Amino acid sequence: MSQEKLMHYQVDPWNCYMMRVRRRRMEEEDEMERVMRIVSESAVVIFSSSSCCMCHAMKSLFCGMGVNTMVHELDQDSKGKQMEKTLMRLLATNSTTLPVVFIGGKLVGSMDTLLAFHVNGSLVQLLKQAGALWL
Amino acid sequence: MASQRIGELDFSEPYGIHHRINNPSSSLINDQGSGFDFGELEEAIGLQGVKIRNDETKASAFFTGKPAATLEMFPSWPMRFHQSSIGGTNNKSGGESSDSALSSKNENPFEPESPLSKKASSFCSSDQLQHLQLQQDMTNNNDVIKTASSPKSAHEKRKGGGSTSDNKPLDAKTLRRLAQNREAARKSRLRKKAYVQQLESSRLKLTQLEQDLQRARSQGMFMDWSGGVGSNISSGAMFDMEYARWLEEDNRLLTELRNGLEAALSDNEMRVMVEGYLCHYDEVFRVKGVTAKADVFHVINGGWTSQAERCFLWIGGFRPSEIIMMLIQQLEAVAEQQIMGMYGLRHSSQQAEEALSQGLDQLQQSVVDTIAGAPLVDGVQQMVVAVGKLANLEGFLRQADNLRQQTLHQLCRLLTVRQAARSFLVIGEYYARLRALSSLWASRSRDQTIITSDENSCQTTTDMQMLQPSHNHFSSF
Repeated sequence: MSQEKLMHYQVDPWNCYMMRVRRRRMEEEDEMERVMRIVSESAVVIFSSSSCCMCHAMKSLFCGMGVNTMVHELDQDSKGKQMEKTLMRLLATNSTTLPVVFIGGKLVGSMDTLLAFHVNGSLVQLLKQAGALWL
Repeated sequence: MASQRIGELDFSEPYGIHHRINNPSSSLINDQGSGFDFGELEEAIGLQGVKIRNDETKASAFFTGKPAATLEMFPSWPMRFHQSSIGGTNNKSGGESSDSALSSKNENPFEPESPLSKKASSFCSSDQLQHLQLQQDMTNNNDVIKTASSPKSAHEKRKGGGSTSDNKPLDAKTLRRLAQNREAARKSRLRKKAYVQQLESSRLKLTQLEQDLQRARSQGMFMDWSGGVGSNISSGAMFDMEYARWLEEDNRLLTELRNGLEAALSDNEMRVMVEGYLCHYDEVFRVKGVTAKADVFHVINGGWTSQAERCFLWIGGFRPSEIIMMLIQQLEAVAEQQIMGMYGLRHSSQQAEEALSQGLDQLQQSVVDTIAGAPLVDGVQQMVVAVGKLANLEGFLRQADNLRQQTLHQLCRLLTVRQAARSFLVIGEYYARLRALSSLWASRSRDQTIITSDENSCQTTTDMQMLQPSHNHFSSF
């Protein structure tokens, strides 16, 4: 019996590989779902790191605008690493991406996209639509 | 027969029409040949004929100020001459000294092995007289220049090894050999001098080439920037050069804009120019970003700016809200809606600036805490952490430049084409005046007496005139 099992693994490595890939994809989907779940909970969600200064700048920006944001400190989350990888995949980039902001459940992006939106006036629009800002 | 010493001209010669220069050695120094061919020289020496013609021309060649003729090693200059005059000036002793000098070379290949009697003093032009004099010189055994050693052996070989010692009675062979030695020595000295001159000129050329290369590099760099080029030039210095070039381009574009406005070009043409100017600014932001990867402190501290600019710097550049405020005050004929838009833009950029400044403050605090908290004995770990934190500086500079870029683009969207052009002109003028202020200030510190209370008596009048009318315009700052 064990010999058969051994033969099965030896003879069909491709199957094992495919199973591993499938498992990883399921995990990624889980992660993505988790992220999506988190971002839909609040109008403005920031994924940040407690030691990152740019994250602090983003938080200050929203505070200065009077917007209440939900901040997720990934370095204090048990699954932070995986979530960061998911975010990197979402942003289609290989470098560290924090901070990342979602408004109204939709991905906005990193600090430079946020500033671009802010300067051209569309950030205020987005915030109003998401109900985070009343004027 | 007049005693003829080396270095003396024989002006008593009735046939001497050559234009001699007093000092033979110095005259021969005048060569500027760039070739250097020992082999040819040796060959030429070896082929020297014994004929009077040969001697005469050879001798005259020594003192005619065309030393290259005698030295085959400078083919680039004399050779051409030689080929052209090969038939014409044979045996001509009168007239052009250059001819005789040239012809001497021509004669060499034609003569079979013949001893050289290179008495420096034989200036005679006619063949027979030369021959006679030569013989007499030989017999008289006048002053002899110390012979150089190098071609001597060759001559001696060619001579077929005649007499060996100078102490023997001076037969023709010995005399000839001695004369050959003398000539060889002279030629060696001339060769050496020529070589040294050649080296000097090459050195000058090399320094010039290096300067050209630097200039070309600094110009070419701006178009094709890659961080690793120019290993021995620091990235900061490289950026300074590129920024200087960007400023020149900036001036040119602003002049174009000004002319376009004055000439009242069509909106489409103005739009093309405005967009070109925006690209110009995009370019400088891009280069700043690239430089920041190599040397972030240089860019953030504004080492590339003038002193006054540096004083008012915000994260390595201008503060967008200040620029917008200045534009709101300076621009005329702006619609109500546009003014509202500009105030809104100013508000947004103020918020962004505030956020970035706070982020930067937190970074500074974090770095200071890390360094200050490092234990005395083993602070390496803390230093490593601090270095890691400093890496964030580049990110802040990147965001600040991004903010500036976005503000400028948004400005162009808010305003009409002409207003946008006017805005760029105002910004350009502002910075030109800041730079002028810096140079004025520098000259003021150097010499307090120049700038008196009467501003018109300033020596840099143009700068002051530029500043005076704008006095009230900058009161808001």
